[in-house]
Amino acid sequence: MIQLFHVHKQYPGEAPALLDVSLGIEKGEFVFLTGPSGAGKSTLMRLVFCAEVATSGQLLVFGRNVAKVKPSQVPYLRRSIGVVFQDFKLLPDRTVAENVAFPLEVRGLAPREVKRKVSAILGSVGLDLKAGKFPLSLSGGEQQRVAVARALVGDPALLLADEPTGNLDPERTLEVMDLLHAANARGTTVLVATHDRTLLERYKKRVVALERGRVMTDGAEIRRAGFA
Amino acid sequence: MSARRPFYFVGRAVEAMARRPSVAFVSILTIFVAAFVIGLFAAVLRGGERLLGAWAGEVHISVYLDPAADLDAARAAAQTAAPGRTVEAVSAPVALQRFRASLGAQGALLDGLRPDLLPPSVEVRAPGIALAEARSLAARLQGVPGAREVDYGNAWLERLERLLERLRWAGIGLFVALALGAAVLVANTLRLGVFARRDEIDIMRLVGATDLFVETPFLLEGLLQGLAGGVLAAGALVGICALALPGLATAGLPLARSEVLPPALIGAVVGGGAALGLLASALAVGRELGRRAR
Repeated sequence: MIQLFHVHKQYPGEAPALLDVSLGIEKGEFVFLTGPSGAGKSTLMRLVFCAEVATSGQLLVFGRNVAKVKPSQVPYLRRSIGVVFQDFKLLPDRTVAENVAFPLEVRGLAPREVKRKVSAILGSVGLDLKAGKFPLSLSGGEQQRVAVARALVGDPALLLADEPTGNLDPERTLEVMDLLHAANARGTTVLVATHDRTLLERYKKRVVALERGRVMTDGAEIRRAGFA
Repeated sequence: MSARRPFYFVGRAVEAMARRPSVAFVSILTIFVAAFVIGLFAAVLRGGERLLGAWAGEVHISVYLDPAADLDAARAAAQTAAPGRTVEAVSAPVALQRFRASLGAQGALLDGLRPDLLPPSVEVRAPGIALAEARSLAARLQGVPGAREVDYGNAWLERLERLLERLRWAGIGLFVALALGAAVLVANTLRLGVFARRDEIDIMRLVGATDLFVETPFLLEGLLQGLAGGVLAAGALVGICALALPGLATAGLPLARSEVLPPALIGAVVGGGAALGLLASALAVGRELGRRAR
């Protein structure tokens, strides 16, 4: 699903954000990407999401070399990737249903089909009664569930979540993580960037630890080693 | 793109304007001012040209004849060549008499000269004639039997024509400068609208929107705002014509609305406003998308 070969990413005038990162994530996996702030978690996410290109090395997403994907083809690649951010990135002047409908409208689905899918996904995240509300009238946990619904409504093969619970209390954190877990159970590959060690402990999944742009450890043993 | 898409995009454009009416209002106002100023300039230039042309058209054409020419036949031929115009046959003695009268007290200087000193002529008066028409009439009058020379005040007319030509070029230059200035101004105004929706653009790209998908509603928005600004400008110009033309006519500057503001110019103001809105929004959204490449 995702393969990185000696990936290096450097921003001008800064220390390398990623240094010789090699990594493979299989289809259907649930992987935590962890490490302190500035470790390179978000940079790696942005590379996978084609928001940036690696300075050197190779990155394959769905078997395609991202560096060779034409800019005009990037949107079509992104339609197979759902993304969730710490700050939700919802449009405040659109209703919950309108926010969630966005990825389907981009794909050109018929309004009736959009409505059906939006209704179904909002039901699955427990927000069917909030469809007509505006994001700012919702709690943080609800807003993040809307963001997860938007990321999942297009049935993506890959779900990227960058600190999805960073702004949430423990109870809401578990609600959101359960949604990601459920998506993984339905076959979506999930990559979650977090520095919340309780999540790593609770969900016994593969953990890739980054520090100063390098992969320090990779695998379930990370918990036993107490890295996180 | 499916058949539903155009309606979807128009809906999005209208919805965006309804969400931010103040931004839409400022854009429409800017395009209105730009289209109005350019339209007014074009109308004034047209009116000026028409008036100058009409003044230049107070043409008096003299066909000088051989002394032996048949004056009546020449007059008849001139009348045929200039239908509807006042044609007068002037014999040699009458020409000398008029010349003497024009000299006033110094007319006595002509005493003793032969009465056939000046050639007989046919005089054609052509009020309201345009420059090109004057030239064409003069060419036709060359065919009058016995005609030796046709004088229609060439030097004065040529000078006037050169002046009009320069004015036309200055007008075109000013028009281009105004249009470019307006496009930059409108593009900057529309950029405010695009900037206000940068989060929306980011999210659209996040969920896999192509550049065309992102751009189209903005372009339609620009087109609709431009159309609205253009229609308002055309309406204002028609209103100004209705108010100003009667006053000008009273002041001795008779102009019809179709002369200063013909349907083609009204169409150009409306179409130009729409094109300006489209161009400006293309510049604005293109710059924003370029800045957010990938």
